[in-house]
Amino acid sequence: MATQKPNYSEEDLVESLKQNDRAAFEYLYDRYSGALFSVICKVLRDDEKAEDVMQDAFLKIWKSIKSYDPAKGRLFTWMLNIARNSAIDAVRSEGRKPGMDDISENLDRTEINASYQPSTSTLDLKALVDTLRPERKVLVDMVYFQGYTQEEVSKKLDIPLGTVKSRIRTALQDLKLYYNI
Amino acid sequence: MNTQAYIESGILDEYVLGVVSPQEKQEVERLSKIYPEIKAELSRVEASLESYAMEHQRTPPARLKADIFAQMNFDEPVAESQDLEEQVEDETAQGGAQIPFGQTVSVVRPLWSRIAVAASILLAIFGGWAALQLSETRQKNEQLAIEMSNLQETAKYSETLASMYRDPNFKVIRMPGLEKSAESSVVALWNQQTNEVLLDVQSLPAAPTGKQYQLWSIVEGAPVDMGMLDQDFAGKVLRMKATNPNSVAFAITLEKEGGSPTPTMEEMYVLGKV
Repeated sequence: MATQKPNYSEEDLVESLKQNDRAAFEYLYDRYSGALFSVICKVLRDDEKAEDVMQDAFLKIWKSIKSYDPAKGRLFTWMLNIARNSAIDAVRSEGRKPGMDDISENLDRTEINASYQPSTSTLDLKALVDTLRPERKVLVDMVYFQGYTQEEVSKKLDIPLGTVKSRIRTALQDLKLYYNI
Repeated sequence: MNTQAYIESGILDEYVLGVVSPQEKQEVERLSKIYPEIKAELSRVEASLESYAMEHQRTPPARLKADIFAQMNFDEPVAESQDLEEQVEDETAQGGAQIPFGQTVSVVRPLWSRIAVAASILLAIFGGWAALQLSETRQKNEQLAIEMSNLQETAKYSETLASMYRDPNFKVIRMPGLEKSAESSVVALWNQQTNEVLLDVQSLPAAPTGKQYQLWSIVEGAPVDMGMLDQDFAGKVLRMKATNPNSVAFAITLEKEGGSPTPTMEEMYVLGKV
């Protein structure tokens, strides 16, 4: 588990990654692969393919770490983009649209995944789920995890674009409060 | 800049969610470098979504890590491996120069190199043929475009004429050719409401150099100038001067370029009574 390994600050971690340091990449994998894999699974909905895409995405992260610019944002945001885009590309190359086939199934899965593998205590997760009201949570998940645009969410769920935007904003405010960030 | 309003616009949230346009993306990146409070808020949004994502983990199968790390190379940075390749090439080049004179060097041409040569010749031929086809197609396209625009002009001309002939406000005055040019034929279209006069030249010999046709109307026995005909009169409707409501006839004479104050009667080509 990541908690057992030396804890890098984000700056040190990035520095070591750019030096192509194996221990840093192992730490990176141990710490973030779960979150990235979860996103890939949500986009692909095919566990076997998700493993291939996870592999591609992590190798991409390794190869292009030199182009990561901390001034533009946090490391995780950058990695999440790589993982999400790899997954969306994989779905498109199969000829289907990412997460477009059945929205109700999509929502069900989002709910299932929400309670999947709590990394902190169950109590915390429950509090989180309570904090984010379901109708907002679904929107955040679709946009942040699955790479929908707000317009697509609005169309698919038949909710006005303005409502989609304001619900996502409120959800992010809640998250900031919840995490005391 | 009002950074608070910028933060409250929600653009930072959208940036982190990845739903901004490339322009907005650049803008956020630029402004977050300039304004620490924007950068701080951006980090807050990122950190909270990161924490949220960390709550939603799904551990990949354990063997995947080994598979991935087996494909990664930590021994040498990428830049150095390129240097190495160059070095190898240098050595090969030197080795080639060291072959002593007089020694027979058998040149080995592997099959793939011959196939490659054959393929490149075929490709060149095909390329030439394709280029030829392309230029022919382009030419045809240009021709078609010209024909098309001609057709459009003709259609427009016919449409204008048809609408005027149908319009009860227009009085149609046919001007048949006189002795001098019996085959000539021009139609004047006289709008009875506005007294606007338009000419439809159906047949008239091209004006000789230095000469130009001039339209006249006959009002109370005297010719009144109605303007010059455009030299390029075929296939279009010519707009002339407005006429006196009491005109009794229209005529066209050939005059010197720019027109004359009075018509040259011997050079009258067509004449039509109202």
